[in-house]
Amino acid sequence: MTRVWDLPLRLFHWAMVVAVVVAAITGFLTPEWWLDLHSVAGYALGVLLAFRLVWGVFGSPYSRFRSFPLKLSDLHQHLISVLHRTPRIFVGHNPAGAWMIVVLLFLLVALVITGVLALGGRENLGPLAFVTVYQIGNISREVHEIAALGLLWAVAIHLLGVFVDTRIFKHPVLAVMMIGNKMSSDKRANGPDGTHTARGAVWFASITGLLIVVGVAMASVTPSGWRNIQTPADYVAECGDCHDAYHPSLRTAAAWRSVMNGLENHYGEDASLDEGTIADIRAYLVENHAGTFDTEVANRIGRIDTPSFRMTDVRRWKKQHRDINESVYRLKSVGSKVNCQGCHKDAESGRFDDDKIHLPSGDKS
Amino acid sequence: MSTFSIVSGRRLLIAAVFAACFVSGPAVAGMLQDTIARYTAEVTSADKGFTGFSAERGRMLFFSRPATGKPDTPSCTSCHSDSPVTVGQTRAGKEIAPMALSRTPDRYTESKKLAKWFRRNCKSVLGRVCTAMEKGDFLTFMATQ
Ligand code: HEC
Ligand code: HEC
Ligand code: HEC
Repeated sequence: MTRVWDLPLRLFHWAMVVAVVVAAITGFLTPEWWLDLHSVAGYALGVLLAFRLVWGVFGSPYSRFRSFPLKLSDLHQHLISVLHRTPRIFVGHNPAGAWMIVVLLFLLVALVITGVLALGGRENLGPLAFVTVYQIGNISREVHEIAALGLLWAVAIHLLGVFVDTRIFKHPVLAVMMIGNKMSSDKRANGPDGTHTARGAVWFASITGLLIVVGVAMASVTPSGWRNIQTPADYVAECGDCHDAYHPSLRTAAAWRSVMNGLENHYGEDASLDEGTIADIRAYLVENHAGTFDTEVANRIGRIDTPSFRMTDVRRWKKQHRDINESVYRLKSVGSKVNCQGCHKDAESGRFDDDKIHLPSGDKS
Repeated sequence: MSTFSIVSGRRLLIAAVFAACFVSGPAVAGMLQDTIARYTAEVTSADKGFTGFSAERGRMLFFSRPATGKPDTPSCTSCHSDSPVTVGQTRAGKEIAPMALSRTPDRYTESKKLAKWFRRNCKSVLGRVCTAMEKGDFLTFMATQ
């Protein structure tokens, strides 16, 4: 009987399973406003993976990447022996399993990195928000989605491998990953002992502490795409009576000029103001137009001109809201589709974060 | 009533508004009274036979459906709801507090705001600005609601 998997590695494995399941459910299944929980799962994965990479160098013998049988000739031989139903028993990973781990770890690291970039670039949130522009965030999100599908397949193959090992070859790999022991004739195997548990705990605590401190510090730097602007009282008073006063990043400078110059005929109403007030408000809107923000809403909606000057006529706006039932707009707390604040609780700030979306009925219809 | 018959229409109106405003608070009453006095001055300067604003004419302005302005807003009630004491809604969906002074005591106190909305809403509904007479009637009606 040899102990193969040290306790830190086994804890890592099962913690990661939980984090991946949470991230997958909140990523694939739930609506966008679950981004909060998705991010938490992602950060947890990031910490776990950082530990795993360090443990792959400093951990107990079978945890080390050096011990992985990654030679392609070994893999070839192993697969042939599996087909002949006479696989050799490895104490640590077998070559197929080792490759599987490499692929899984690679995909997971890629997912965490692209996830943090997407969050920073698109939502102006998280540790990389201060350096990531929208376009990078956008590309990262595409890669993130592809990697996520890749991970689904990889996990499926991994589970298939476990199934084959357990059912066909009667290797109790699941039990081994839980308890850590394996029957082995490999006398050279010198497995982990209690000192590894202590060392793992120290490593894990240090890595977690370091990442949290550095991450929080980075996340508190002003994001690159969004800034807090002082809203003049005039603007809220004059443009906030009939609908909420829109954030300047929702329209182009040209559109704002046109809206402000046509207030006598404002979407079927007279919204006229005196010249002085018009000039003040116009200056504020034009100064902070969509081109001066690098948020998702500025890129996707604000910067797109429409003949009506409406953001609700932008194709992308219609697409994003096509699943919303007309009756939701008529609810008292919303009133109309032009009252962004009714569903986007942070509309006033111009952020339009996913996790601030709140459909009044609590659901999409 | 016999003591009142000898004083001018203007004094009578002020007294009436004063009486009404004992209920809604002296500060607010003072300002609305000033506003109505201003409109009164404006009307009397053009029409010497003016005998005071009428809540009934104000009521008619509020409930009528002139439809001579913009097509989406045929009447004051399009936005201010069918009753002075209930909450209205703008076309863009925001709530408007009731117009009756008894329900929204801080109404009609800011002369800039008042002038702005009379200008806008009269243009939207009637297609023209409202006269001082119409404004005085409207406020008199709302003060009694
Ligand atoms: C008298 C009421 C009123 C005031 C005051 C007003 N608006 Fe509007 N606004 C409207 C209405 C009504 C609509 C169209 C609503 C609809 O289609 O449901 C609208 C729509 C808009 C839209 C387009 C929304 C869309 O569909 O994407 C913009 C932009 C806008 N207003 C800007 C302003 C600005 C800037 C001011 C201040 C100068 C202002 N509004 C003041 C009534 C008003
Ligand atoms: C009735 C509620 C409601 C109103 C009103 C509303 N939205 Fe939305 N909006 C949503 C919902 C729900 C989503 C998420 C749709 C999805 O992804 O499935 C969304 C998504 C968005 C997104 C994309 C966010 C993202 O990260 O995917 C933007 C940008 C946006 N809305 C802008 C606006 C603007 C601008 C207005 C006002 C003119 C507005 N919305 C009015 C409910 C609303
Ligand atoms: C298109 C919608 C709309 C229509 C039609 C409309 N109003 Fe208004 N009205 C508003 C809004 C919005 C406000 C400002 C919100 C508030 O004061 O609560 C307002 C405010 C006012 C005010 C100022 C109240 C104050 O507290 O100073 C007066 C007076 C007024 N309206 C009179 C009228 C009259 C008279 C008509 C008909 C001729 C009319 N309104 C028609 C939307 C409308």
